[in-house]
Amino acid sequence: MNQVFESLKTGQEALCLLFQVLRRIPDRKSWRWSDIFHFIVQMGMESLPIIALSTAFAGIVLTHQVAWHMNQALHDISMVPGFTGQFILRELGIAIPALLFVSKSGAAITAEVGTMKVTEQIDALRLLGIDPIHYLVFPRFIASILSSVSLTLVAIFMTLACSIGVSVFRYHFSWIEFLNALRHFVGPLDLLCAMVKGMVFSSVIPIISCTYGFRCQGGAEGVGNATTQSVVTSSLVIIGLDFLLTSFFLQWL
Amino acid sequence: MSICFQKVTQTFGSKIVLKEVSFEVPKGKILFILGKSGVGKSVTLKLIVGMLKASSGQVLVDGQDVMQLQDEGLAQVRRKCGMVFQYPALLDSLTLYENLSFGLRPFCTPNPGTILMSEAEIRKTVLEKLSLVHLGPEILELFPHQISYGMQKRISLARTLAPEPHYLLFDEPTTGLDPITTQAVNDLIFDLSRKLKVTSIVVSHDMACALQIADQILVLDEAQIIAQGTVDEIKQSSVPLVQEFLKETLALFPLEENRSSTHDPSP
Amino acid sequence: MTLLHELGAIWLFSLQVFRTFLTTKGNFQPILAQIASISLRTLPTVIFSGIFVGGILVLQLNLILSKYDAQSLLGGLNTSTIIRQVGPLIISFLLAGKIGAFTAAELGTMRVTEQIDAIECLGTHPIQYLIVPRFLGIMVSSLFLLLIGLTFSIVGAMGIAKQSCGINFLQFMGSIPKFTDFWTLTQAIIQSLIYGTIVAAVSCHQGFTAKGGARGVGQAVTRAAVYTNFYIVLANWITNHFLNFFEQIVKSGYLYESSF
Repeated sequence: MNQVFESLKTGQEALCLLFQVLRRIPDRKSWRWSDIFHFIVQMGMESLPIIALSTAFAGIVLTHQVAWHMNQALHDISMVPGFTGQFILRELGIAIPALLFVSKSGAAITAEVGTMKVTEQIDALRLLGIDPIHYLVFPRFIASILSSVSLTLVAIFMTLACSIGVSVFRYHFSWIEFLNALRHFVGPLDLLCAMVKGMVFSSVIPIISCTYGFRCQGGAEGVGNATTQSVVTSSLVIIGLDFLLTSFFLQWL
Repeated sequence: MSICFQKVTQTFGSKIVLKEVSFEVPKGKILFILGKSGVGKSVTLKLIVGMLKASSGQVLVDGQDVMQLQDEGLAQVRRKCGMVFQYPALLDSLTLYENLSFGLRPFCTPNPGTILMSEAEIRKTVLEKLSLVHLGPEILELFPHQISYGMQKRISLARTLAPEPHYLLFDEPTTGLDPITTQAVNDLIFDLSRKLKVTSIVVSHDMACALQIADQILVLDEAQIIAQGTVDEIKQSSVPLVQEFLKETLALFPLEENRSSTHDPSP
Repeated sequence: MTLLHELGAIWLFSLQVFRTFLTTKGNFQPILAQIASISLRTLPTVIFSGIFVGGILVLQLNLILSKYDAQSLLGGLNTSTIIRQVGPLIISFLLAGKIGAFTAAELGTMRVTEQIDAIECLGTHPIQYLIVPRFLGIMVSSLFLLLIGLTFSIVGAMGIAKQSCGINFLQFMGSIPKFTDFWTLTQAIIQSLIYGTIVAAVSCHQGFTAKGGARGVGQAVTRAAVYTNFYIVLANWITNHFLNFFEQIVKSGYLYESSF
């Protein structure tokens, strides 16, 4: 019971923080581009190699799996390109980078903000008259959304490229065949949905991470615990949102 | 039988922390190792318990070179040397009683020759050590985060005393404490070394404490010993850094009496 | 480069842990305690995400299969994908986030507040006292959590399939044996054991070697989370190849018999 109450409180805090951040969007002063670019480089570039590599492997494994299942069910693997392409654009190319982004950037944000909290740097900011939400959360929020667009594109591209590679070398499709099938199965609407999904996930990550960072207490132990909780909560929220968005988008696809 | 450094050199990469340092710790006395922050004072303690390996030279504990020892021998040396850390370093998932009795449990006595204590004996030892640091048995079932920092420090000291070490090593025992607790910790160090006849090594940058309770003082700077001697000898020293230390300290505590000389005629 | 360097350090660390476990007389009490605590703490997370991941997969697969009029295969395809890939992967990701990060934080805190040094000075072997129970605890509970997670995601998938694709439970279950058998489950168990070992090794190593106050603990946790996820994806690729290879070897014997 206590735990339920606690998580409800966290949810409320996160929503408050989200509202606070959204309220600052029209304010011209919030958009300090140098900071935002700094965070785009920090978050985007740091997660880029890991996301690119992981999604590449995911693409290879997915293609093998799909081919195996097709062979088992229909004794025919001609539909592998369409099937994989669709799955990558709808699900894999978005969810995997988002989960990796959580463990890389989300955890880093909580650790950083949490360290600032327990070493009283955030109190110091307040005393200097600087609004911590404006200074810490807002640039991370914008940077996370902007960098997720490119990260999602990179992830989809890498997964598709590796999937094409496997189809060409292992299953003897030509890459033109693959792209034709792809054109048949997915449209620009799919790409748009992918982008929207990616942006929703990446707007959730900094908010949850900062919420946990701000309520960090009690030295090194507190920072560690907050980071753990933030990674778990973000992952769960992403999985839940993924389900909701998927069932929502499927209605008009 | 004592602790003895022979031409010990310690380097981290290209940084030289100790350079051919030799000294011996007089038995049953309190040795203070003084120096500015980051001159390798704590490194000397870590060398004694074998948590660092010296780049060259020998660290002898009761005639055994710590650098040559493996698991079993090292564990024995560690049981002989009680180390009190800068932080209280109490295990936060265990109660204070479990913390205090930690060193008496079977998993801390790997060598089969040692006699395992019964629970009653362990309890008796724990209470005895607790009274040495002037604390009562009512706190035993609390957890470390439920008591004050000064109390944690004292519990930590009692935990170190439980396996009856021959040497006590203190790493910055008074850093971050208020003046009253600092005084209490200093008194404890002094009383324990007299009462239990243990040899103590205290690493600190607090000259005032050193003047109060030390038998021997050793000043480290730039990887070498720049001054060494009894409190009176150090007071007469002409080394510039020592002069500076003394000036600062005496400006703060002008009327501080040298307590070790008033207590000294101990048997 | 850092990743390779780290991999070497983790390898040596795990060897040391296993050697300590094998050479010292076993006290299984702390290991069992760890298994219980890890499993209980991760259970709600695993159940929640199991149900939703099953649901997402059903929705996606249904969309594709309905184009081919092959919705009767939905149950089998879904179950097979979950057992072969998605289940072990997602559960080890969650284990990494929840328990891996927690272990790194716990051990890192003990390291930076000198608790590990202190128990070492009292004469204990810190690897034996602290690391071995956590390491084995994570490995064993990863198996337990896998089974729970698989069950719940298949149940979740069945629920969603009935709700939004109009496939009832019997139809769903009917196509399962087409794609899965006992060997599939063994594969999942092998995979999850490997991923569990990765989570345990990386997080224990990061926590045990943390330094530098609150900041250091935060970094150790972050690194533990990132490295585990990366190594798991890498291991996924490698195990997938090897397991396919073994499957061919194992099955080639009786396939011949049954086909003639």
